Amino acid sequence: MPESPPDLVDTKPAAKLFVLATRLLWRDWQGGELRLLFLALVMAVTSVTGIALFTDRLEKALLVESANMLAADRIVSGRGELPREVMTEGQARGLRNAETLSFTSMAFSDTGNMLVAAKAVTEEYPLRGDVIIADAPFVRGRPIQSGPPRGEVWLESRALPALGIEVGDTVYVGEAEFTVSNIIITEPDRAGGSMVDNAGPRLMLHMDDVAATNVVQLGSRISYRFLFAHDDIDELDAFESWFRDQEQWRGRFYIRDVRDESEEVSEALSRAESFLLLGSLSAVLLAGVAIALTAKRYSERHYDYVAILKTLGCTSTQISTIYLTIQLLLACIAVVVGCVLGWLVHQGILSLLQSLLLVELPAAGFEPYVIGTLTAFICLLAFALPPLLALRETPPLRVLRKDMSQQKIGANVPYVFGILGTIFLIYWYSQDLVLTSVLVASVAGIALFLSVVSYLFLRSSGSAGMKAGSAWMLAMTATRRRRSQNVLQVMVFSVTIMSLLVLTLLRTDLIDEWQAQLPQNTPNHFMMNITAGQIDGIEAFFAENGVESNAFYPLISARVTHVNGDVPNPRDEDEDGDGANTITGGAQLDEVDVDPQAAAALAGGDQAGADQQSAGNQLQSAGNQPQAAGNQQAAGNQSQAEGGTRVRGRLSRRQVTWADEVPPDNLITAGTWWGSEPEAGFVSVEEEYASWLGLEIGDRLEFEINRQQISAEVSSFRSVRWDNMQPNFFIIFSPGTIDHLAGTFLSTALMEREQKVLLNDLVRMFPTIVIIEIDALIEQIQSIIAQVTSAIELISILVLLCGALVLLSCVSASLDERFHENAILRTLGAGRKLILSSLLIEFAFIGLVAGCIATVGAEASLYYLQEEIFEQEFSFHYWVWFAGPVLGMIIISGLGMNATRKVVKTSPLNVLRQVV
Amino acid sequence: MPAADNGASHTMIETRNLVKSVDTSEGLLTILKGIDLRIAAGESVAIVGASGSGKSTLLGLMAGLDGATSGDILLDGHSLAEMDEEQRAILRGQLVGFVFQSFQLLPSLTALENVMLPIELKGDPDPRGKARQLLERVGLDERWHHYPNQLSGGEQQRVAIARAFATQARILFADEPTGNLDTATGGKIIDLLFDLNREFATTLVLVTHDERLAQRCDRIVNLVAGEIAGESSPNSITEGRDDRGQEAVNA
Repeated sequence: MPESPPDLVDTKPAAKLFVLATRLLWRDWQGGELRLLFLALVMAVTSVTGIALFTDRLEKALLVESANMLAADRIVSGRGELPREVMTEGQARGLRNAETLSFTSMAFSDTGNMLVAAKAVTEEYPLRGDVIIADAPFVRGRPIQSGPPRGEVWLESRALPALGIEVGDTVYVGEAEFTVSNIIITEPDRAGGSMVDNAGPRLMLHMDDVAATNVVQLGSRISYRFLFAHDDIDELDAFESWFRDQEQWRGRFYIRDVRDESEEVSEALSRAESFLLLGSLSAVLLAGVAIALTAKRYSERHYDYVAILKTLGCTSTQISTIYLTIQLLLACIAVVVGCVLGWLVHQGILSLLQSLLLVELPAAGFEPYVIGTLTAFICLLAFALPPLLALRETPPLRVLRKDMSQQKIGANVPYVFGILGTIFLIYWYSQDLVLTSVLVASVAGIALFLSVVSYLFLRSSGSAGMKAGSAWMLAMTATRRRRSQNVLQVMVFSVTIMSLLVLTLLRTDLIDEWQAQLPQNTPNHFMMNITAGQIDGIEAFFAENGVESNAFYPLISARVTHVNGDVPNPRDEDEDGDGANTITGGAQLDEVDVDPQAAAALAGGDQAGADQQSAGNQLQSAGNQPQAAGNQQAAGNQSQAEGGTRVRGRLSRRQVTWADEVPPDNLITAGTWWGSEPEAGFVSVEEEYASWLGLEIGDRLEFEINRQQISAEVSSFRSVRWDNMQPNFFIIFSPGTIDHLAGTFLSTALMEREQKVLLNDLVRMFPTIVIIEIDALIEQIQSIIAQVTSAIELISILVLLCGALVLLSCVSASLDERFHENAILRTLGAGRKLILSSLLIEFAFIGLVAGCIATVGAEASLYYLQEEIFEQEFSFHYWVWFAGPVLGMIIISGLGMNATRKVVKTSPLNVLRQVV
Repeated sequence: MPAADNGASHTMIETRNLVKSVDTSEGLLTILKGIDLRIAAGESVAIVGASGSGKSTLLGLMAGLDGATSGDILLDGHSLAEMDEEQRAILRGQLVGFVFQSFQLLPSLTALENVMLPIELKGDPDPRGKARQLLERVGLDERWHHYPNQLSGGEQQRVAIARAFATQARILFADEPTGNLDTATGGKIIDLLFDLNREFATTLVLVTHDERLAQRCDRIVNLVAGEIAGESSPNSITEGRDDRGQEAVNA
C-alpha cells in the first residue's frame, strides 16, 4: 500500500493528547490505580484548608472576644484622674472612645443597704461586645450596646434581694436618687475590671449622673478608664506608641490591649497555635509522604504502559505531557474535593464548638483555600512529579524484555525534590526561619538515625530467623531479601507512628495541664480580711449552705530588711519594661484602694503587686512576682537612682503566711520542709524570688513585720504554680515564728452561679470581710480553654487519618512484589496457612521494629518540643515504651494482612497472569 | 531523506553490519556480531534460533526499540542510527506495528480502546470506526467492550493483531506471537496474521520457535550466537512475489 514518506515531525495535536490523558485518567480511576494517590492529595488539601479556615476564623473570633473582655481595643488607666489630652488625642486620631469610672459606694433602698461596685459609663460604652441585661434577677439576658440612660441604674441580680427591692424601685447612691430599670447580667469587661470592680455587685449608672451623687471627690478610691477602639489596627498601634512616648506619664498612666488581658488565656492560645501549626505541618508532611509513595507505585505500574505507548509511536515529550495532564487534572479535582471537605471539616469543628463560642465567628477570607490549593500543587510537584516524569525514560525495549529496569531514575532523585518541597512548605506555613531550620535539622537527624538503626535491625534478622519453623524462616528470609525496600518501609512507618505518638502525647499533656491548671472545682471567690474569731462562723455558714470552702491562710505584711545581716541586693531583671508592664501589670496598682486593709492584703503592702486586670492575679501574687517588680524597677530608673533602699523596700514588701504543710501545687526544689513537729524560726522561699534575692539555703533573713524585727533561716525553696488562681505565697514561715503578730486570714470558696445570692447573707453576717469575685474570669478562661481543647482534638483526628493513609499506601506499595512472589510460592505447593503466617510474621516484625524506633523518636522529639516550644515540663511516658512497639506491630500487621488477603484468595494463575 | 523505490520490490528493512554489545558483570557481551540483512517490501521473514542467539535483540533493534552499538538499520530508507528516541518513536508510530508474545495490551483500556490508541496517537481520522472494523475482521466485534483480563489469550492476541494493523503499518514485527497459546489457538492466530499480512501487503518480520509458523514465511533466517548461520526458503506459495530482496549476505 503506497504511502507518502513518514513525516518525522511530531504531528500529534495537543487536544488528542489531552483526550488520551483524560481517558487514561478515567480508566485508571475506574481501575482503582489512582485512588490512593487521589486520597492522599485530597487529604493534604482537606487538612490544610480545614485547619487554615478554622484557625483563621478562630483567631479573628478570639481577637473579637478578647476585645470584648476589655469592651475596647485599647484602654488607658492609671492613678488618679486621667489627662484629658489622652482623650483629645484619641478623638483627633479618629478613634471611637468612651469613658468609665468605677468606685465603691453604699447603695440604699427604703429597706436596706449594701456595698456596691459602681461603674459610670458614657453613652458610647461599650465599644466592643455587649452588656447583657434582663428584666428580672437571675435569668438569661439579652444583649444591648449601651449603659443605662440618665436617671436610671442597672443592678446585678444579687443586689436586689439584699436591698429588698424589685425592678422599677428606687435606690439612692450618695445624694442622688435612681430608678432600677434593668438587671445587669454581665458586662464585657466585667472579668477584666479593676479591684474596685470586684468589691461587690455591680451598679451601673450614666456618667452624667456621677456629679449628682456627690460621692466622688478628691481622694476617693476611683478607677478611671479611657476606652478606645478602631477597626484599623495600625491606627491603634500609632496611638499606643504616641501614648508610650509621653515621658511625663510613665509610671502613672498605662495603656493596655487585649493581649495583656489574661496571661493564662494568651498562653493557652499561643500553645494551641503552636499545636495547630505542628498538627497541620504533620498532616501535610504525612500526606506528602503518602503522595510520594502512591505516585511512585503508580509510576512503577505504568512502566509497561509507557513502553507500549512508546512502541506505538509515543514520544517521551508526549509521555510527559500525558502524565502531567493526568496529574494536573487529578490535582484540580482533588483541590475542589479537598476544599469542600476542608470547609465541611471546619464547619464540623465550629458546630462542635457552637455552644462554647460566645460570639458569631467572622467569615473566613479566601486565603485558606489558596493555601490548600497551593499545598496540593506543591505536594504534587515535590512528591509525585519526579517519579512520574521518570516514566518518560522507560526504554521501549521493555515490551520485549521484562527485566529492563528504569536505569536512569536515580532512586534518590524524587526524594531530593520531596525534601526541598517539604522545607519550602514548612517555612511557608510557619513563616519562621528558625523553627524551619530546627524542624528540618531534627527530622533529618531522626531520618538518618532511623535508617541506620532499621538497616541494622533488618540485617541481623537473617541469622536470627534461621532456627525457627518454616513460616518464620520464610518470613525472615523474605524480610532480609527485601531489605532495602523494607528499610524504607520501616522508616516511613516509624516516622508516621512517631508523628502520631508525638501529637497524641503532646495533646494529652497539654489538655491535662490546662485542666489541672483550672479544674472545674477551682474556687472562684476569695475572702479576705477575716479575723481569727470569724473563721468558725464562716466555716459553719458554708457547711450549712453546701458551699465548698477551703483552708484559711494567715496573712501578714512583711518586708525583708537584711540578708545575712546585709541590706538585700536584688539582681537586676533583664526584662522589657513595656511588655511586662502590660502583662503582669507591674504597675496598675494605684486604682486599688478599696479599703486600707484589703488593699494592703491585695497589693502586698507596697502596692506594687496589685494587678488591676484581675483580682486573681493579684491574689496569686499576694505580693507580686519578682519579674513584675523588676519591671517596676526598670520602669522607674529614677527611683533606683535616688536610692536603692526605697526600691528594695518596695520590692521586698510581701504578704507572708505560715503553714504546717506544703501548700498544694507547691514543690520543694531545694532544702527541706519542716516535718510534723515544726520548729519556729524557719522560712520557705519561692525559688524565683530566692534567686532574685540571691539567697541560698541556710541564709538568715530578717523581716520587719508590724514594726517588729523577725529573723528566720531559709530552710527550703519552693516552685509555685502562679497560674492556678489560688492563694500563693513567696514567703512561708514555719509555725510559731510569726503567729504572735496579729494578722488576718484569707480563704477561698467555690460558689456556683445560683449560690451567689448567699454572698448577701455572708456579707450581712460578717460585715468586715472583703469578698473578691473572680468567677466571671475563671469561667471565661475555662471556656476558652475548652474551645482550644476541642480544636486540638479535631486536628489530632485529622492527622491520625493522614497517618493511616500513609500506612495504607506504604503497605500497598509493597504489595505487587509480594503478590507475585506468593503466587509463585503457592504454585510451588506452599499452603495458604504457611503463606499467611509468613506474611503475618513479616509484617509484625516490620511493625515491631518501626514501633520501637518510633517510640524512641517520639520521646526525643517530645523532649525537644515540650522544653523548647511549649515550655512544658517533659516527663517520660512509660506506657508508650510498651504501647508504641505493640501498636506498631498490631497496626502494620493488621493493615498488611488486610491488604494481602487477596494474595491467598486469588488463584495463583490469575495472579501470575495479571502481574506478569 | 533517502529515496525509496516506489515499487513492491524495494527494500523495506536493511541492516548494515549491525552490532549490539551490553555491559555485564563478566565484561562486555556481544549479542549481535555484525548482522547484514535485507528484507524486501511485502516479504515475510522468520528469524529462528536457540534461546540467547540474539533473535529478540535483533527484532528490537530493527523495530527501533533500542539503539545499536554500531552499524545501521534502514527502515523504508530512514536511517535509525541518525535518529534519537523521539524521532524513532514518531517513525514507529508511522511505519511499524507490533505483535508480542505477551500481547501487551493496555490493561485499563477495552479491546476497542486498545485498537483505537495507535490511530489516535497517529492522528488519523475516525479511530472508532476503523477500530470497530478491525475488531470485526479479527472476529471480536461482539467483545469490543471487554477488558484484556476478560479475554482469553487467543482473544487478546487477536486484539493485539487488530491493533498492529490499525494504522496500516507497513512493517509488522511479531515476537513469538503464538508463544503463549495452545496449538489450536496458535494455528488460528497464524492464519489470521498471514491473512491480514496479505491483505495489507505488510512486510512481516517475526521471531519464533514455532516450526509451523516459520514454515509459513517466505524466508527463514537462522541465528546462531549472534550471527546469521544460514537461510532457507520454505516451500511456500509466494504469490509471484519478487525474490530480489531475499539475497542475504552472510558475514
